[in-house]
Amino acid sequence: MIKRAVALVLLLMLGGIFATLMLGYTPDSELNLTARYYAERTAADLGAANIVTAIVVTYRGLDTLGEVTVLFLSASIVGLVLASNRRPALRVRTPVGELLTTGARFLVPLILLLGVYVFVNGHLTPGGGFQGGAIIASGVLLLLLADPLRHFSHHVIATVESLAGLFYVAIGLAGLFLAGGFLDNRLWPIGTLGELFSAGAIPLIYSLIGLKVGAEFSSMLASLSETEEL
Amino acid sequence: MNALTIFAIGLGTAFLLGLLGERQKSLGYMLTLAALTFMSAVSASWLVVFAATGADSFDIFTAGTAPPFAINLRMGLIEAALTLLINLTGLFAAMHMGDALLRLGQRAMAVLIIAIMALCGIVLTRDIFNLFVFFELIVIATAGLVLLSDDDSALAAGFKYLIVSQFISALLLVGIIFAYHATGTLNIDGMAEAAAAIDPSVSGAFAIAFFLMFIAVVAELKPFPANGWALDMYEAAHPGFSAVFSAASGTAALYAVDKLLQIGGTDWLPVATGIGIVTFVGANLLALPQTNDRRLLGYSSIAQTGLILTVLGQQDIFGDDYFFIAGGLLFAHALAKAGLYWLSALVAGRTLPDWAALQSRPLLVFAFISCVAMLSGLPPFPSFYAKWELAHLLVAEGRSGLLALILFGALVEAGYLFRWFGYLIKRATPAESIACPAHQLLPIAAAVLGGWALGFVWGELSSSYFGRTNLLLTLPLFFALTFLLLDWLPAWVKNTLAIGGMVAFFSLTYAEYDPLRLIFAVIFLIGGAVTLLASYHAHGRRIGFYPAAMLMYAGMIMLIRASDSFGFFAAWELLTVGSYFLILRGKHSEPHALSYIVFSLGGAFLILAGFALAASAVPPAPTFEIAQLADLVQPVAPWVFLLLALGFMTKTAAIGVHIWLPGAHAEAETDVSPMVSGILLKAGLYGLFVLLMNMGKQSLYGVELTYVMLWIGAITALLGNLMAIFQEDAKRLLAYSSIGQMGYALFGLALMNHLGWLMALMFVINHYIYKSMLFLSVGGVAKRTGTREMFKMGGLITLMPLSFIATLIGIIAVSGVPPLSGFGGRWIFYNAILTADARLPMVLIFLSGPIAFLYLFRLIHTIFLGQLKDEHRRLKEAPFWIILPQMIYVALLMVVAVVPGMVLRHVDAYISQFFPDGALNWEGSTITSQFGYWNPVAIMIIVGVIFMLLFGWLLFVNRRAQKVKQFNFVFSAERPFRPETTHFAWNFFAPYRKAMGFLVQPFVTRFWAAVTDLLHTAADITRRLYNGNGQTYAFHFLLFVVAVFTFRMGM
Amino acid sequence: MAYIAMATGFLLVLIGFYGALTQRNLLRMIVAFTIADSGVNIVIVAIGYMRGRTAPILDATVSAAEAVQRIIDPVPQALVLTAIVIGVGITALMLAYAYRLYERKHTLDIAKLTDLQG
Repeated sequence: MIKRAVALVLLLMLGGIFATLMLGYTPDSELNLTARYYAERTAADLGAANIVTAIVVTYRGLDTLGEVTVLFLSASIVGLVLASNRRPALRVRTPVGELLTTGARFLVPLILLLGVYVFVNGHLTPGGGFQGGAIIASGVLLLLLADPLRHFSHHVIATVESLAGLFYVAIGLAGLFLAGGFLDNRLWPIGTLGELFSAGAIPLIYSLIGLKVGAEFSSMLASLSETEEL
Repeated sequence: MNALTIFAIGLGTAFLLGLLGERQKSLGYMLTLAALTFMSAVSASWLVVFAATGADSFDIFTAGTAPPFAINLRMGLIEAALTLLINLTGLFAAMHMGDALLRLGQRAMAVLIIAIMALCGIVLTRDIFNLFVFFELIVIATAGLVLLSDDDSALAAGFKYLIVSQFISALLLVGIIFAYHATGTLNIDGMAEAAAAIDPSVSGAFAIAFFLMFIAVVAELKPFPANGWALDMYEAAHPGFSAVFSAASGTAALYAVDKLLQIGGTDWLPVATGIGIVTFVGANLLALPQTNDRRLLGYSSIAQTGLILTVLGQQDIFGDDYFFIAGGLLFAHALAKAGLYWLSALVAGRTLPDWAALQSRPLLVFAFISCVAMLSGLPPFPSFYAKWELAHLLVAEGRSGLLALILFGALVEAGYLFRWFGYLIKRATPAESIACPAHQLLPIAAAVLGGWALGFVWGELSSSYFGRTNLLLTLPLFFALTFLLLDWLPAWVKNTLAIGGMVAFFSLTYAEYDPLRLIFAVIFLIGGAVTLLASYHAHGRRIGFYPAAMLMYAGMIMLIRASDSFGFFAAWELLTVGSYFLILRGKHSEPHALSYIVFSLGGAFLILAGFALAASAVPPAPTFEIAQLADLVQPVAPWVFLLLALGFMTKTAAIGVHIWLPGAHAEAETDVSPMVSGILLKAGLYGLFVLLMNMGKQSLYGVELTYVMLWIGAITALLGNLMAIFQEDAKRLLAYSSIGQMGYALFGLALMNHLGWLMALMFVINHYIYKSMLFLSVGGVAKRTGTREMFKMGGLITLMPLSFIATLIGIIAVSGVPPLSGFGGRWIFYNAILTADARLPMVLIFLSGPIAFLYLFRLIHTIFLGQLKDEHRRLKEAPFWIILPQMIYVALLMVVAVVPGMVLRHVDAYISQFFPDGALNWEGSTITSQFGYWNPVAIMIIVGVIFMLLFGWLLFVNRRAQKVKQFNFVFSAERPFRPETTHFAWNFFAPYRKAMGFLVQPFVTRFWAAVTDLLHTAADITRRLYNGNGQTYAFHFLLFVVAVFTFRMGM
Repeated sequence: MAYIAMATGFLLVLIGFYGALTQRNLLRMIVAFTIADSGVNIVIVAIGYMRGRTAPILDATVSAAEAVQRIIDPVPQALVLTAIVIGVGITALMLAYAYRLYERKHTLDIAKLTDLQG
């Protein structure tokens, strides 16, 4: 009881801090310096129609590399945490519904296709590598739900993940030598705004990210599912 | 090499590791080491570039776009140095944890590489959100690397860490986004510019946003008391990783705070200072009652980080010295902590006394003490130079209160670190020897050697920028340190080298000293060499003795050669440390050595503060010459005097701060006691001489400080002697006697007249000779009889005649009766008193004279006369090498007694510079003062004649006496259970104890015990806050946030 | 509009924090943190919102030339993506830890995981 009271008091004070922040907040009516630069220059400089994607993949590419690494780390550590107690043999098959099995068989290819579509078009439309990767992983989740005993090869997943990561880093380095700097997307002509093959290396990078994120999520899901006691 | 390759190689290798199969673990491990080596090489190459060319730092753009529109990194001297530290820590940690990494496989290796890369990212990036991403990487990697530990509680520790990290990252994100909104940029430099330009009337929202970012990043430093989760990590994690967590993570987080402070501006510096100092003092206090080694190191890490945060908060006054100070503290801390954590892996047990296992490995002991010295800021490590500048700049800006807190915290830290070292040296070694695989030794060696190397670098920086001395390049210290390398030689070789070196150094330099310094130089170098003769009796290698002894002598000779305050202080700390090691060698000296080092460091801190205060009062100059003390005026002068006098009096064991002396001197080894009593105490007197010579009389609030010293001297003399008479232990008796003798010398000095000083110098010489001699003879007896309790001895006169003669001559000299030199001292002394006007303390001094008789005669009476104990019937004379110096001293005493003018007349003339009146008249063999004359030769002859006559007569009347053997009858009684109660010499002065015992109640001891108890109790109560519940730690964190917010807004 | 979103976000953060501070079950704490994370993300997005503007994607309706006048601030959108992904990573990690802790100690009560203290 005391704990709750103290928590309430503390959070009231924290809420006070937040409230002051909010009261001091006035929405911008014009874009600020940074945003204005992106609005004006992205199309001409990088050739990406989706400005958010340009920021994510190129201007703030180092963040994104870090972000991918976060997932890589999480996947590795989840693997480490759960690694030592795999008990595959003892599990008994419990039947899942016909509906789920058939649905999965029907939906998974579509989901994968959607995922690929989302990350390949990341520079043109809303979405991108992370979203696409998450969609792909949801397909894997569906497969796992339909068949909890399905064994995904960790090695295959890890290989996809690592290769995607390596290529990502390699492209970043290529930017250092062939273009203006690390992770610069202008490795080759940026093409026409709005076309699939435009924006330099952005579609490639985002595809790699998509593959990598999909692999990482899948690896986490697989690790978690193997711990499940049925 | 572009600094970005650090990231590319780090990430590339991490991803590549995923491609390797289960079987290729060793290949993966090799790749890991190679990647970390490469990353270190990149940093190292930049460090060389910047250090060699003095080039400015430069920005690295990403995405081919200039900041603030894309993320940029910055590489400069500081960044290169910090990333090198981080990368090397990572590399050696990987080496150290080889087994664990191979067990857990490539995933763990990848996590480690990414952690190191992310730490470099924090140092390099100039983008605030990018900083956040790197922080999150570290959080996740840290939680993962905890799993390397075998400790079962690591899992829970990791979870607690994640809980608090979630709170931290939520606040950080909210802060970042609002700061972005207020400034329109995420670039740190851009944000700093924009923040400075924000209209103050609307800056409120930005201030809160900044507060949230700031507090979140500061939380990564584990500020006290919001740090329970971190301590659990330190305790539970693999020690190889704890080293990274302490050395590398702390470094990166500190640099991140520095970046944030650039945004926040000077308004936020006091907040950083406040958090830092509370953390430093609080964490050090909480470390006191810790029993688990790794948790203790965790507290110490947090404390050190707090200290550096304090320095960060004071950067406004440091100017160009900022990185010199912060860097000195940071590198010393990082290397020492990494070294200690890596060492902890070799020790099987987890309590502090378990570290006694290292005893059998001198090199590991050396590694340990090097780390402790780095943490305590002792010379010649970088932290020492940093400490010196820090203290001076703080005092110069009038921030003495902060300095006082820092020094208090540092003293507490030194207390628990040296207590630990005491355990390591003195506690029982566990049966099983420790395994030292090479891959675990290499990292330790790297940390320790790195510490020494940086000590050299900081010395060079200090000498090129501030004109101070690079201590590692001074001949005496260098000479002392070579004994570390020669420690494999047999003791007698090293002894010869030591004696030769000391005599050679004296003969090369004796022309440089004025008469006063010459006296001290002779005592320190020649006197030291004579004392070392006794060390020839030791067999084997005597590991550790010579480096320690030579360190002490090096410090002492550097002390009298120092002309500026820096050299003086450095020498003071060196001699303190050296003598501490010597004292610690005694069999039961663990607690005494600890109280010695704590009191001495406390005294040293007072001296540091005194010098800092003095330097702040004169026009700024690179160095403060000791002679400039004379230029000081009110109101600073008396305070400087007070601080320095208190510091020096700690060393001379004035009453109130004397409690370390008896145990330290009595428990020391036979040949060490004369060194620390006969020689070391003179360092304190030398300091007082220098002080009084330059500053003269000073008054504070109308009280004349020399007059207070006079009283302290008198009381010390009286009580020291009084305490001595009740001792049963012969060496303890001598030790208390030293307290009394130092009281005399202090009194003489404080008289502030010609004769008082002459007498003090006379005491310097006499006390050296007779106290060394007595300690040697008593030590020799104790060595033969196996006890120091006097009532267990008796009748040794026939068995140990030479020791008897030395003791007899010694006590005649000490007690100040004719004909020996002690009388000369007394004679000058009484003359001095008659010319001064301090009558009341004079009475005390007179009183203590006869008291000295009471204890001195017991040495003869109880040890050498009386009944010989049955078990002592076959004793032999003390070893030759212990007798030899005693005989030299006997001869010396005779010479000084007959021709005191040989030395003293020069000194007398020298003192006339300061006190022209009252000089003695040295004509022929007669010395004349205004009150009378003293002819030592005549006295010697007269006393000699009387003695011979009486002795002859005694022999004559006893010529017919029948000699009865002691053991020619049968004892009929049983041996009593407590033999001492039936021995006549036990509690010999019981009646006096009844009468005067109240004077010797251990009030002072009780006072200091109460102080330590208070600290311990306070720490124990605070400890209960850390109840191990992750949720409670989250409460602590939020409380901390709210408290700092309230503090900041109230400012 | 922005204020409502922001207030909601902050409220979610506080609710999440309250849950994390008072719930003793590890899984509930994790859920509480995801609520707080969502709150933070909403705040971030709300900061970038500008009245009467559209998404920062150039297409037939928003040409590159008039983008400055038409689009909202794209930066918070990019940041929130990163924040979400990091949140997911940490949540997964905490879940794995909770699982392993339960397996080792047979409890999900945070107050019982106190082997280290002082």
